[in-house]
Amino acid sequence: MSSPSSSGGDGAGAGVEVRELSHRYERPEGRLTVLDGVGFSIPPGGHVALTGASGAGKSTLLSILGGLEPPQSGHVHVGGHDLDGLDGDELASYRRRTVGFVFQHFGLLETLTASENVEVALTLAGTRARARRARAAELLAAVGLADRAGHRPGALSGGERQRVAIARALANRSRLVLADEPTGNLDERAATRVLDLLEQLPAERGCTLVVVTHDRSVAERAPARLHLDEGRLSGP
Amino acid sequence: MSWADAVLFAARGLLRRRGRAVLTLVAVALAAALLTALLMITETGRSRVLDQLSRGGPLAGVRVDAAVDDGVLRRVRALPDVAAVVPIATTRLLVATDGVVVADVDEGGDGAGAAPAVRPGADVEGIVGVDIAQADNLPITVLAGRLPEPGTTTEVAVDQRWLERRGVAQGEEAGVVGTEVVLGAVREGAGGRRDSLAARWTRALVVGAVAQEAAAGGVLAPLPVVLDARAWAAGGAGPAGEDPLTGGGGEGGPYEGLFVVAQGLNQVDEARQQLSALGLPNEAPENLIASVLRYLHVVELVLASIGVIALVIAALGIANALLAAVRERRREIGVLKAIGARDRDVRRVFLFEAVALGLGGGLAGTVLGWAIARGVGAVVNDYLSAQGLAGVTVALPPAVLGGGILGSAVLALLAGTVPAVRAARLPARDAMGEG
Ligand SMILES: Nc1ncnc2c1ncn2[C@@H]1O[C@H](COP(=O)(O)OP(=O)(O)O)[C@@H](O)[C@H]1O
Ligand SMILES: [Mg+2]
Repeated sequence: MSSPSSSGGDGAGAGVEVRELSHRYERPEGRLTVLDGVGFSIPPGGHVALTGASGAGKSTLLSILGGLEPPQSGHVHVGGHDLDGLDGDELASYRRRTVGFVFQHFGLLETLTASENVEVALTLAGTRARARRARAAELLAAVGLADRAGHRPGALSGGERQRVAIARALANRSRLVLADEPTGNLDERAATRVLDLLEQLPAERGCTLVVVTHDRSVAERAPARLHLDEGRLSGP
Repeated sequence: MSWADAVLFAARGLLRRRGRAVLTLVAVALAAALLTALLMITETGRSRVLDQLSRGGPLAGVRVDAAVDDGVLRRVRALPDVAAVVPIATTRLLVATDGVVVADVDEGGDGAGAAPAVRPGADVEGIVGVDIAQADNLPITVLAGRLPEPGTTTEVAVDQRWLERRGVAQGEEAGVVGTEVVLGAVREGAGGRRDSLAARWTRALVVGAVAQEAAAGGVLAPLPVVLDARAWAAGGAGPAGEDPLTGGGGEGGPYEGLFVVAQGLNQVDEARQQLSALGLPNEAPENLIASVLRYLHVVELVLASIGVIALVIAALGIANALLAAVRERRREIGVLKAIGARDRDVRRVFLFEAVALGLGGGLAGTVLGWAIARGVGAVVNDYLSAQGLAGVTVALPPAVLGGGILGSAVLALLAGTVPAVRAARLPARDAMGEG
């Protein structure tokens, strides 16, 4: 991978281009440089595994790509958006329209049913109720949970919860899916099923996919790998 | 996110922390109930007093101490600033309390004094005769028992002077109720000779003890008691029908005074000027009125502040509950932002939670407060009707109703602002959080 490609493209996945990205945290113990001049690119519809030791900055990099934090310095270009120039509401809109997150902790709202959890993403995008329900049903069916739509997260297994989260990540036709240790809390069978679902997204929906993992076997399933070490990228 | 969605979201958030939400709600409800009840009670008290003043109750009364005949009475009634006029007839009668009925007597006397001989056990008492039907307009308070029936000649009430002279202690007024007195009207015989003094004795039942400022006396009686006694006394051949005990009643008209009720508090001055213009000496308790109003205002302020303080404490409870919720839901708020919620969406959800608590608590509390005030009102009414006074209607004024509910909602909104802003400012990065 790593050949800069045209980012953008409508409907298809979002190309990612990162140049000279640095990120620091000010902490009581002193300044911590998490990312130190990172650069790479992912073509639209690409699938990349991001590895690195705990605390290497994987989640930080993912949160910058996903617009959870604005880049402190350097350039981040995703699907036609220059993330370094966006303000809070613009970042929110970027997250809503372009990005789908999958977290290790699933991040489902406990009081809502599976279907409602998917619908929240659509609600935030202003989709009407009827269309929301239809889309949620379609996505839950796609992740094999059509019959669990009315269940709350508490009644679902870890693997099922993560599949609801994947359905939610796809709700607004995200062009970039960012998964942070998506199998970290799952047993092997559930993990395999979740990874199968995620890995078919680039082909089936044209999404660009970045999966953060410290699990070698998970990383090896990806066609391209990035490794974070001491704030810098290296080969696998 | 639309408003409706935000409301739905807020509702879910509250339901999720049901126990805490209920506790917070109860605190708000109790505070709103306290405020509502206090405001209703003071409002009722004030409106009753103001009502009396504007209708002219005893507080807007002017006493006229002069003999008045029907002509003058008519002219006073026609005065522009006068709402009602209650004529007062007074006389002095012999009153025996030993219950012995004495047939008409000719008291033999010795010496040449003008005073009639008095039977043992009989005292001379001032009798204040008023139209009992108009007692509401007069400064009369029932201490025990009730007022005599209007128009009867067989029922009387005794007043504070009577009780004082007989050493009846405060709180023991009920003891005189139900006792019998015998009233003696005295007629002077022809020629004014003492041995021709005659008394007509009539029985009357003491039905109540009162405090009254309508006129100086000892016994409060329906008007006919005084008029009859006076007519009987005048029926004798006494000089010019003069009442031998009082020397009055013969000239200047049948009434010894008037209680004039002004149209309202602000008309008391004008009414007094108009009375003076008619040559009628008069007096009014203006200072009393002013201080009563001032006192009511202070009571109102104090009670309202207690209620408001309670509401503020409840609002702090809302702030505290929501702050705790924000702390607990850091990651969830981050996730909401990660899937596209803007800061203002998050803020809105928390503000709605606060308002829901405020509105819910305010509504429940206002209803509760209304019930409390009604309960208090019922007790007050029992007391008032025991006093022979008209009861109060404890109504829920729209201002209190709206104020209680809206006030709680607005306070809750204010209380929710800090947690809501704090939630909205949480970094979206918290979505990744390990917590
Ligand atoms: N908001 C923050 N403030 C201060 N330090 C942070 C913050 N977020 C992450 N860090 C620190 O930055 C480093 C990288 O964190 P992270 O990107 O989460 O690592 P990884 O996901 O690779 O384990 C860690 O040492 C972490 O403690
Ligand atoms: Mg991490």
